[in-house]
Parts: sequence; C-alpha cells; structure tokens
Amino acid sequence: MTGIVAIGSVLAASLLIGIYGVRAARSTSDFLIASRKVSPRWNAMAIAGEYLSAASVLGLAGLVLKNGLGTLWYAVGFTAGYVAVVALVAGPMRRSGAFTVPDFAEYRLGSPRLRKLSGCIVLLIMLLYLVPQFKGAGLVLNLVSGTPYWVGVLLAGLVVSFSIVAGGMRSATYVQGFHYLVKLAFLAVPAVYLLVHAGADARGEVLEPDRATEFRARTTVEFTIDTRLEVTEPTTVERAPERGEPGEPDRLASGTHDIASGEELTFPAGAPVPEPTGVPQLGGEQWSRPLLDIENSGHPLLGTWSTLLALTLGAMGLPHVLMRFHTSPTARTARRVATGVIALLGVFYLFPAIYGLLGRVFTPQLVLNDATDSVTVLLPAQVVPGALGSVLTALVAAGAFGAFLSTSSGLLLALAGGLSHDLFSGSVPRLRVAVVVGTTVAVLIALPAFRVDINVLVGWAFAVAASTFCPLLVLGIWWRRLTLTGATVGLAIGAATSTGAVALSTVTTLDPGLLTLLLAQPAAWTVPLAFATMIGISLLGTEPDWAEHALLRLHAP
Amino acid sequence: MKPSRRVRVTSPQTRIALARRHRPGQHLLPLPAPADVAGARAAFRRQRRLALATMSGLAATVLGMSGLVAVLPTLDHVGVAGVPLSWLLAGVAPYPLLLALAVLHVRRAERAEDAERAEGGLAVDERRDGR
Repeated sequence: MTGIVAIGSVLAASLLIGIYGVRAARSTSDFLIASRKVSPRWNAMAIAGEYLSAASVLGLAGLVLKNGLGTLWYAVGFTAGYVAVVALVAGPMRRSGAFTVPDFAEYRLGSPRLRKLSGCIVLLIMLLYLVPQFKGAGLVLNLVSGTPYWVGVLLAGLVVSFSIVAGGMRSATYVQGFHYLVKLAFLAVPAVYLLVHAGADARGEVLEPDRATEFRARTTVEFTIDTRLEVTEPTTVERAPERGEPGEPDRLASGTHDIASGEELTFPAGAPVPEPTGVPQLGGEQWSRPLLDIENSGHPLLGTWSTLLALTLGAMGLPHVLMRFHTSPTARTARRVATGVIALLGVFYLFPAIYGLLGRVFTPQLVLNDATDSVTVLLPAQVVPGALGSVLTALVAAGAFGAFLSTSSGLLLALAGGLSHDLFSGSVPRLRVAVVVGTTVAVLIALPAFRVDINVLVGWAFAVAASTFCPLLVLGIWWRRLTLTGATVGLAIGAATSTGAVALSTVTTLDPGLLTLLLAQPAAWTVPLAFATMIGISLLGTEPDWAEHALLRLHAP
Repeated sequence: MKPSRRVRVTSPQTRIALARRHRPGQHLLPLPAPADVAGARAAFRRQRRLALATMSGLAATVLGMSGLVAVLPTLDHVGVAGVPLSWLLAGVAPYPLLLALAVLHVRRAERAEDAERAEGGLAVDERRDGR
C-alpha cells in the first residue's frame, strides 16, 4: 500500500511539473529541445535522470545478483560513454545545428535518403530501449501492489504518452531533473541504511564470496517457469505440485533436477542454494571475479571488453542522448553539461551493486526463478522486516518508477522525432501522434517480454548504436573524406550485423564458446567492421567539394 | 485572449536543406572567425589531436582496469577494509578517473578555442559561439 502511495506521489509531482511545462510547448523547437531555455545545472540533472533508466536502477542490481561482479563493468561503460561524448561529439554536434542524428547525416552528407535510413535506425534503437523500460514499470507495479504485469505496462504507457503529448521536451527536462534527485535519494538512502542494518554477520558474508550461498531462513520458492536445477549437496525439501497444496518431504540428490512451472519447493534454513543451469554459482569463483564471462564462453576478458566497447561507443549514438545537447545554448555549455553528467552518473552508480551484493545473502531464491530484476524492490523487506521495511520498499519502488518515467519520456521524444521530424515533415500535432504510435508499439512488444532480462535488451540497443551512429558521427565530425556511399553502406552493414547477431543468439542454443560470445555481445567485431566499411568505401570515391567547409564549420569556435 | 498562432518550425539546417535541396553544399552557413581556411584547418587539427588524446586515455582507463583484473587474479584476495581490491577496481575506482579525463578535455579544448579566437583577430569580448 505504501508503495502505491509513494509511486502515486512521484507520479503526481511529475505531472505537476509537466503541466508547468505545458505552457511552453508551442513549437517544434519547444517540443524537441526546450527552446534552449534550461539552465546548465538542471540540464545536466535532466540528462542524468533520463540516462539512468530501469536498466540502471533495477537491471544492474539484478545482474550483479544473477551473473556476479563482472556486471559492474556495465555501469562503468554507461559512464565512460559520456567521456567519449565530451571528447568527440558534444561540441561539434551542438554547432552543426542538427537536432537529431538523421538531421546531422543530412547536414554533413547532403542526402535526404541517408536521413531516412538513419531515421529507421533511430526507430530500431529506441524500440529496443523502450521495451525494457515498460517491462520495468510493469514489474515494479506488480511487486508493490500485486496488479497483473500487463496492467502496469498499459498504465505506464498511458502516463508517459500523456505527459509527453502535453508538454514535450521543456516539461520533460524539469520532470527528468526532478527524477534524478528522486532516483539518487530513493536508491542511495535505503542502500546505506540496509548496509548498516544488515549487521556485521551479513556484511561479512557479502564480502566472503568463496563461502557457498545458503538460504538464511526457511524459504518457499514458487516456480513460474520450467527450471533445471543443479544440486551440489543432497537437500531435503518440501515439494508441492501446485501452489497452496500441502508439500511432501522430498530428498533432492546431488545432480540435475527438472522443476516444472507451478511447482513449489520449500528449502529449510541453511540449505545450500541450488544453481539453475547456465548461471554462475552464486558466490562461486566465476561469480565473484569482476569480469563478464558472457554465455559461459570461457573468454572473460574478451566478453568484458566487447561489452565496454558497446556501451562506451553506443552512448554517443543514442538518439535521445544527442538531442539533449541542443537544449544547451552554446557548444561550450554542451560540453560542460556533459562533464557534469559524468559526475552525477558516477555518484549514482556506486549504489546498485550494494543491492545485488546484499541480494545474494538475503534473497538468493530470485536466481532460481529468473526474477533477479526485482531484487532492488524485494530486498528492503527481507533485511528490515515490518513497517520500516515496507516504507523502504516504497521508496525504492518509487525511485524505480521515476527511472522508468524519465527515461521513457526521453526515448519517446526521440522516437517521435524519428517518426515525424526525420521520416515525415514535423509539426507539433504530428509529433503528438507519433508519441502515441511509438508508445503503443513499445507496450505491445513489452507485454510478452516479461522473462527477458532488462539489460539484455538495453545492451542490444547500445550495441546497435555503437555499430551504426557511432562511426557515422565520429567519421562525420573528424574525417573530411567520408562520402555518402561509404556512410550509407557502413550504416546498413553495422545495423544488419549487430541486430542480426544478437537476434541469432537469442533464438539459437549453441555450445558455449567464442561464437556464442561474439553473437551475444557482437560489438567487438561489428564496430570495427562498420568503421572499416565506411572508411574503405569512402576512400574509393571522392567527397563533394563542400565537405571540408561542412567539417570545419563544426569546429569553428 | 487569442492564443498565439502556431508556426511550423524545423531545425535551421533542415529548413535550409529543404529550401535548397537541388544544390547541395549551399545549405552551409558561412565560416565564422577564424575566417581564413588555413586557420580553421589548424583549429580543426588541434581539436582532433585533443580528442584523440582523450580517447586514448579513455581506452587505457577502461580496458586497462579490466585487463588488470584479468591478469592479476590475486587482486580478488587482496582486500582494502575487507573489500576485495578487484571489486573496487570495477565498482568505484573508474568514476573519479573518468570525471578527471572529461574535465581535463574540456579545459584543454576551451583553451585551444580561446587561442584560435585570439588568432582569428576577434575581440575577446565577442566570445560567444551560440547561434
């Protein structure tokens, strides 16, 4: 109940701030870039607020719990992306006068067709990024109030599209700045409190990953998916074929056991946590090493580097990140604002890991059920039982909901921009229609996506952005000889390989190895491939005579 | 009160591009100071050197730190106040370094721009790149 009240207050405050912004949203310029009347401090906070999505608030803690400390590199990559933005794109993009990546493509290479192609890639990236946000919203509402998952997703879609349709970017900027504060406070304060309250015993257990993870108390796990468990030590459990039916004592011998969806197992306190197949042993060697061994491929450093490459270079290609720099009045402020964002992100990213680490000790059962994305919301009640626990849960849930709201507003704006500004000609009524269309599509895809990890989809979006817009922008801004053909072919190849590889890795089950790694996190080869294609094909042709002018214009102080 | 009339607005580049689609290159605004092409080229090269340096630093930071964790497994067992050093390397240490890289880049880039403006013969008071 407290959870609904807290989420309700965040919603109400967002709507109020949004309504304040409605007065301003009169033109496309207001709608997309807030007419540049936002102070740098609010702007940095808004950018950070928009950037810290459900992937950061819910997904990171869940990943740490499920896949181990290696997932800390996700947060590093998300932040490092802004260093690349400061160094490579913030200033020149602001000077180009282009609102969106497709706008920039047309500015630099002078082709409306390239603009359309880029517009399609914007839509692809934005959908990959929006779907997990809606999943997060549905999940949080489901956890705090028990409403079915689909109700949460639908409700979230309505709220977000309404506030954007009404206010556009100007209102979104203030709302998102407010949401950064909400997210930081509502995640950091409970994290510190939980860490202190957990007690020396639990903290010791958190820091001693070599000890096998055990259930702290008698725990009932209701399986909602078919799961194959590996039991290392014979364990006596109570096994009920269906929820609510009386359980019968059953002895799980060491080895693999198939548990059907709907079964309920009750583990006694002190029993070792069995491992679902495909997930590193909780607290085991692989879990506690801070390297990302994607798909158990046996190449942890390559996996880590490929992920870092995707996230660092992907950030600059995210359409909603770029559009943000036009809310700054000058190229200099754009760069400074981006630096401020790095500081804000660095502070925030210290906290999600705490939830994941405590989660291993207090809520290991989430791993059995493939429900680790919910650890942030479920943890407080486990550590601090009673009223205070539910207040903390409410705070965290409201923070997570804020994350969802602000990110999806920014994404929807960029999506609307892609639909109407780049693919058709832009006007405010059309932008509004585009927002509604975008929301509908994202909600429809999010409904069946309950079992997909939030960060899998977000990582996918980053990989596509890193393999398409990153080379286009970097070469477009820093290399005179980029030609239209080179850029077009490079974009097409980058989009096809990065999208195709991850799609292939989700539908096929291959033996773990180098191939599975390169399919699941393809940035290590798709980014160099896209760069090489653009450079190689550009060198075959000649750039138009005005190319140098267009390039120098981006760097003239 | 009569509501203000709604005007269709597009980004300046789009507007110019739409108006003069048949003559590519015409959509570019003239170069501001430093007006001479040689000066602008030098400014561009200077900024590109800075960007390359910062990107190398960034690569060294993120790839280097994760590489360190990979080649030195002992870091998992060396603790600072009980927390394994490798965890700190992945979870805490990168952030101040990344911020320092960005701050350094902004300072150097702005200093280079100031120098270019001075060379371009523009009065220092007129420093505004907002358009």
